[in-house]
Amino acid sequence: MSAPATRAKRAAYQAALLLLVPAFIILLGVFVIPMLYIFLMSFQDAKEQFTFDNYILFVKDPYYIGILWRTVKVSLLTVLCCLLLGYPVALFLSKASGKMRGFVTFLIISPHLISVVIRNFGWVVILGDKGWINTILMNLGLIEKPLRLLYNELGVVIGLTDAFIVYMVLSISTSLYAVDSSLFKAAGILGASKWTMFRTITLPLSLPGILAGTTLVFSLSMSAFVTPALMGGTSVKVLPVITYEKIMATLNWPLGAALAFLLLASTVVLVTVFSKLVETKRYKEVFAS
Amino acid sequence: MKALDVELIHIQKKFGNNIVVDDFNLQVEQGECISFLGPSGCGKTTTLNMIAGFLEPDGGELKIKGKLMNNVPSNKRELGMVFQTYSLFPHMTVAENVAYGLKLRKVPKAEIKQRVAKVLETVRLPQVADRYPKQLSGGQRQRIAIARALVTEPSLLLLDEPLSNLDAKLREELRDELKRLHKEIGVTTIFVTHDQEEALYLSDRIVVLSHGKIEQIGTPWEIYNEPATEFVHTFIGKSNKLTGEVLRAEGDRLLVQLDSGSTIEAPLRGKSFSGGEAVSVYIRPEHLSVSEGAAAAAGGSQLTGKVHLSSFLGSFTEFEVATGQETMTVRLPAMDRLRGLESGETVTVSWNPEHAFVFPRKEG
Amino acid sequence: MKIRIPWLGVITTLVCLMVISPFLVIVPVSFTSARYLSFPPQGFSLQWYQKILDRPEFTDAFLFSLQLAAVTAVVATLIGTLAALAIHKYNVPGKGFVTTLLMSPLTVPSIIIGIAALLFFTRIGLGGSFAGLLLAHILIAVPYVVRLTLTGLSSFDYTLERAAYIMGAKPFNVFWDITLPLLRPAILSGLIFSFLTSFDNVTVSLFLVAPDTTTLPLAIFSYMQETLDPLVASISSVVILLSLVFIFLLERVYGLDRLFGTNTQSH
Ligand SMILES: Nc1ncnc2c1ncn2[C@@H]1O[C@H](COP(=O)(O)OP(=O)(O)O)[C@@H](O)[C@H]1O
Ligand SMILES: [Mg+2]
Repeated sequence: MSAPATRAKRAAYQAALLLLVPAFIILLGVFVIPMLYIFLMSFQDAKEQFTFDNYILFVKDPYYIGILWRTVKVSLLTVLCCLLLGYPVALFLSKASGKMRGFVTFLIISPHLISVVIRNFGWVVILGDKGWINTILMNLGLIEKPLRLLYNELGVVIGLTDAFIVYMVLSISTSLYAVDSSLFKAAGILGASKWTMFRTITLPLSLPGILAGTTLVFSLSMSAFVTPALMGGTSVKVLPVITYEKIMATLNWPLGAALAFLLLASTVVLVTVFSKLVETKRYKEVFAS
Repeated sequence: MKALDVELIHIQKKFGNNIVVDDFNLQVEQGECISFLGPSGCGKTTTLNMIAGFLEPDGGELKIKGKLMNNVPSNKRELGMVFQTYSLFPHMTVAENVAYGLKLRKVPKAEIKQRVAKVLETVRLPQVADRYPKQLSGGQRQRIAIARALVTEPSLLLLDEPLSNLDAKLREELRDELKRLHKEIGVTTIFVTHDQEEALYLSDRIVVLSHGKIEQIGTPWEIYNEPATEFVHTFIGKSNKLTGEVLRAEGDRLLVQLDSGSTIEAPLRGKSFSGGEAVSVYIRPEHLSVSEGAAAAAGGSQLTGKVHLSSFLGSFTEFEVATGQETMTVRLPAMDRLRGLESGETVTVSWNPEHAFVFPRKEG
Repeated sequence: MKIRIPWLGVITTLVCLMVISPFLVIVPVSFTSARYLSFPPQGFSLQWYQKILDRPEFTDAFLFSLQLAAVTAVVATLIGTLAALAIHKYNVPGKGFVTTLLMSPLTVPSIIIGIAALLFFTRIGLGGSFAGLLLAHILIAVPYVVRLTLTGLSSFDYTLERAAYIMGAKPFNVFWDITLPLLRPAILSGLIFSFLTSFDNVTVSLFLVAPDTTTLPLAIFSYMQETLDPLVASISSVVILLSLVFIFLLERVYGLDRLFGTNTQSH
């Protein structure tokens, strides 16, 4: 048995609980209860009777499966672009001097603090049919008619890559900063070439960063709404856009609620499967914390 | 008789099931400088924190100036405290740090200014008043921390290992400074340290602690020369250990047969032993003397052995002498004519029997 | 001679260019004298800035967004800082669990948070109200404040508080004179970050604004779906300027790299 708490201790403990009350009121009233509420609603039909129809509809209707597949495809492409572009940046950061590192980090992070709507508008100006890229290319005579860079999957992937690459860069660079640079000296003395060093030391040791960045960018892309809406137009409807329409336009709330949970569930399942694939036994032994 | 400033009566503290301070009894007189000495983890800080009011005892009574202090919050105890890590407020200048306690007491502005200036004089740092703690060296920070603790004229000054974050040279300098300050101001002081030299140098009395229990309370002289327990004797200073069994007592002497076969004698100092009891006999290196050649008769208060290592350490020279099963360290002043002893030479080590200490040996 | 191309540097430059390119086009476009979006931007005029003033739907939305973000920032910072203090300083039991719980809104896509809030608020009669919108913004800002304050507290030296107590300070003095000033950078960055979080938000506001009071990003979002003209550029430039001020403040007070953990919310 532990010693009985003194009066002062108990008072401090009660004060601590009191300090948590406002945060928990918000958490419960605006998050936990509403989430439970729409979870229950997703099992209701128009007459508020219990039903699985909203979920069955999704599985049976090829339209929704198609939407889900497109959402996953766009997200995977975004992850790929973020990885291919973000890894070199992370590598650059890990080798850069303190000042350079700070400057590049600032450049990559600060746009993230400006509304995504504004960034998407910039991209529309750059990528549109009469946008900067097409005008330049046509004036140079390289193309006859404008390239379709916008209002298709390409446009969405560009917008999402711009929005989320910061997470990939930061995840990977964090894991690279932790790599002991004496490892490279040791490998260099042993005669390893640059490529061998990358393949045998840098890449394996940055795997946790890649995994973290990948899952993060994937989850964010799956649930992104603004960028697909603005840069995908009416042709690239992803699951969040459809969900929005069901709620706000069709006013089919139970179906919208079900779609929201399907979005959440499919993201969780895919991320879990992916992590399980990467986290082999050896990986776990090496990176166990 | 002087007034009692601090009384700890059967104080006990537990963390979970772990008894960290057990049956702690101490009376501190006004103006005394007391140190808590013991190895790291023995409960010194915990005891000090109970006096400061940061921790409540699980049992016993704590009185300051005769008043019961259990459950009185720290801010009402009127104490001064200096921490190991200085703990100056980084967002306040030196003057603001020192003035903080006075401001809390609503002392008029003019008087604050004057008292801050005076206490900075006392710690000999009047020129840094407008600097921030970051801009001071470690030694300066600790002096300011001391000034901050003294400015409110506390009834009791508590110091928790105030010198252990400083390097050796500064540590000695600040040690002298603390001694001077204590003499000048005369504030009752409790001082925590794991450094025996610091404790011997600074304290009127030392409380030696081990595993949360008081081993001995005494003046530095008593602690050094009349250790109550084996722990106290070995924790303070270096000592040679000889093991053996009790043969018998003769008057105020105890005869001990060493494992090597020789018989030596040691004063009983009022303790009693039974025949055959396993004991350790300790003699400090500086209490040993050496003469060339084998002794006519080994035993009593001398042993014969061979020199196998000598180290010159500036003001003295240390020899290691193998006597049978034990190796004894002998410390001689550097000027001694025997400083040139060679390895392998046969010598006799002898001592005044009054300097030997016997303690029962725990088997294990 | 073989020329070695510094590939990492080249790609890094390209990526940096990519993330700032939207702003590099928006600002010049906003000063065009043309009546439509054209490349290259023609002439120089402030006409599109003047036109903002003729559009009450934007000026109102701008003011509304400022107010919403300011209130959100103050309330979220207060709530989040108190919660972080409870967790770190007073060592509440199960603090790992409590922290996870407080962070949980970050792990759910904000579109789902918006939907849940809309449906539930409508049910309890808060649909389309300012209170509902504000509560949802506070919900998504609090986790950031908690995280920032916890980071600030992790390096906090509690013996400083003890030093103040023993000098005679009452708990209130200790908090006001010592704890609060030392946590100022963390609290200030919580304030700025939650302001920006609220000011930039589209996905949650989308579901919760009343038809007549909309936020600025949402007004731009709706306008963009109908019309694309330099008016969007001039409004955006104003927002960019305002955001930059806050971003530099944040960099000075706290450092952007420290600010960004790897777990943040979607748009
Ligand atoms: N808050 C605490 N909770 C549990 N155990 C503690 C706590 N503080 C100290 N202890 C334990 O109490 C013992 C005494 O600690 P302390 O008084 O700090 O030792 P010292 O200051 O003599 O080095 C140590 O074993 C330590 O681990
Ligand atoms: Mg200690």
